[in-house]
Amino acid sequence: MYGTQSKRDLALELQAQVPFLRPSIHARRANITVKFQDLYGFTVEGNVDDVNVLNEVREKVREQGRVWWALEASKGANWYLQPQISSISEGIALKSSLKLSNFANAITLKKLIRKGIPPVLRPKVWFSLSGAAKKKSTVPESYYDDLIKAVEDKVTPATKQIDHDLPRTFPGHPWLDTPEGHAALRRVLVGYSFRDSDVGYCQGLNYVAALLLLVMKTEEDAFWMLAVLLENVLVSDCYTNNLSGCHVEQRVFKDLLVKQCPRIASHLEALEFDVSLVATEWFLCLFSKSLPSETTLRVWDVLFYEGAKVLFHVALAIFKMKEEELLLTHHVGDVINILQKTTHHLFDPDELLTVAFDKVGSMTTNAISKHRKKQEPAVMAELDQRLRRLNSLRVDDK
Amino acid sequence: MARPGNKIIQAKLVLLGDMGTGKTSLVLRFIKGQFYDHQEPTIGAAFFTQILSLTEATVKFDIWDTAGQERYHSLAPMYYRGAAAAVVVYDISSTDTFNRAKKWVQELHRQGNQNLVMALVGNKSDLNSHREVEAEEAEQFAQESGMFYMETSAKTAQNINELFYEIAKRLARISPPRSSGITLNHETPDKRRRFCCIG
Ligand SMILES: Nc1nc2c(ncn2[C@@H]2O[C@H](COP(=O)(O)OP(=O)(O)O)[C@@H](O)[C@H]2O)c(=O)[nH]1
Ligand SMILES: [Mg+2]
Repeated sequence: MYGTQSKRDLALELQAQVPFLRPSIHARRANITVKFQDLYGFTVEGNVDDVNVLNEVREKVREQGRVWWALEASKGANWYLQPQISSISEGIALKSSLKLSNFANAITLKKLIRKGIPPVLRPKVWFSLSGAAKKKSTVPESYYDDLIKAVEDKVTPATKQIDHDLPRTFPGHPWLDTPEGHAALRRVLVGYSFRDSDVGYCQGLNYVAALLLLVMKTEEDAFWMLAVLLENVLVSDCYTNNLSGCHVEQRVFKDLLVKQCPRIASHLEALEFDVSLVATEWFLCLFSKSLPSETTLRVWDVLFYEGAKVLFHVALAIFKMKEEELLLTHHVGDVINILQKTTHHLFDPDELLTVAFDKVGSMTTNAISKHRKKQEPAVMAELDQRLRRLNSLRVDDK
Repeated sequence: MARPGNKIIQAKLVLLGDMGTGKTSLVLRFIKGQFYDHQEPTIGAAFFTQILSLTEATVKFDIWDTAGQERYHSLAPMYYRGAAAAVVVYDISSTDTFNRAKKWVQELHRQGNQNLVMALVGNKSDLNSHREVEAEEAEQFAQESGMFYMETSAKTAQNINELFYEIAKRLARISPPRSSGITLNHETPDKRRRFCCIG
């Protein structure tokens, strides 16, 4: 459908056929910057070390694949559907009637997912564990096709903005930046803008939906992943009119940074550096504009299973990894450079996720919810004040 | 580059204005000397640095190019907080963008920094045949609002360097005493300040 097959083949082909890059000794000495395509077809620039890291990552991905296949062989094809642990939407950790074997499976699964879901299994595993499958099952079979047909020719501010952003979303990507890719991305974004008119279209979602399209088997599944993400996984109102949910997350993040990385937090405060200057984009694009593709998707593996708190873990980890370097900065520009360079070169997902889950203190979804509740009134007051000021200006104009 | 004995001013500059008025193009023209027809959308804001040397001072700009849809404007305070200079951009071929620029100016007036250097910029001056906003009207509004006015074109490069030189000059004129957004760096950064943060 909609030619999604060719896109899917692309990801698989890249995995299967891209030969290991073997940089020569000369290249190594010269520390040359090379351009190459990563697992998902993105062109990345890096040095020889980065290429080596990516090769290792490819090997690890294969190993993970073998682990998953072995589990399927011993426990049955859909074994991971039994442990009802995710339940992001219900907000409960474990269903009470859970059997012991299921409990064991749940523990295995959590560990396994933090080590990564093999790209071939991602569409299936994400779709069931995130709650997207359940969401889809509550509406008629033809929901997506009907929606797309119904809104095809409609023109709204959202569709205009979407059309404006299509050619600017990951330009140069071998599938996304083709007429076929643009058309698929357009249908998903336009479709969603009509499903939830409060969100409509928010810049940033273009990147998120584009990556979902690359991962999922079909365009329709990408749409449902976007829906479950916005409606169940992330905090509400992240993308609506004044991004209030995003403001709340930023305040929570600042709180957590003070608690978990006090030295960095006070150093950056002394530099008058507001961490939201960089973290806002991380949270709105779910790292897709900052981290290499496989690293981003490894974050999403955990995000879809453990929920939005994962974003805090990862954001804190990025700061933590560079603690010593950051403490030596004197200037805002240096902080930004360090963070950008770090994120762009995180080709090894385990390097990031190990810090995110082993070095960053554990946080329960409950604790995060409490943090959010605490920050909400202040955010609302601030946004409200700004709005009233703007409205009063509007009256002045006349 | 910095001349010895010359005073160095570190200044935060923020660009505000409606989407599509050419803020990103302006910055890229200034920094890279280039103009691109397709700009990737900016999420939140993009950060750039650029150094300008005048005879009286060297100005190091930290530039925040704010971005995006209307809903992103709720993030703007984070970018103009502590700024030394603000550039409010509109498109001379669109009255709507000029009206929005006026609101930005009023918002900036309320943010409290008395020394904020403000520029009103009518961009896309190459589109003169589609002009909707007369220069006189903008000039007058700028004067009343305590800012200077300039018409630029990121496309043809007209007045781009002039704009940033004028801002730098004004910053140099008002630079000490230390005001928010401006840091004078005569010597190495204060050590005490660094150590107080460790531990
Ligand atoms: N004709 C003309 N077009 C411009 C000029 N500056 C920017 N543009 C175009 O206007 C559009 C929006 O520019 P952009 O820099 O992305 O605006 P921003 O949203 O304010 O950052 C782009 O298509 C630019 O190529 C200019 O001076 N003249
Ligand atoms: Mg822009």
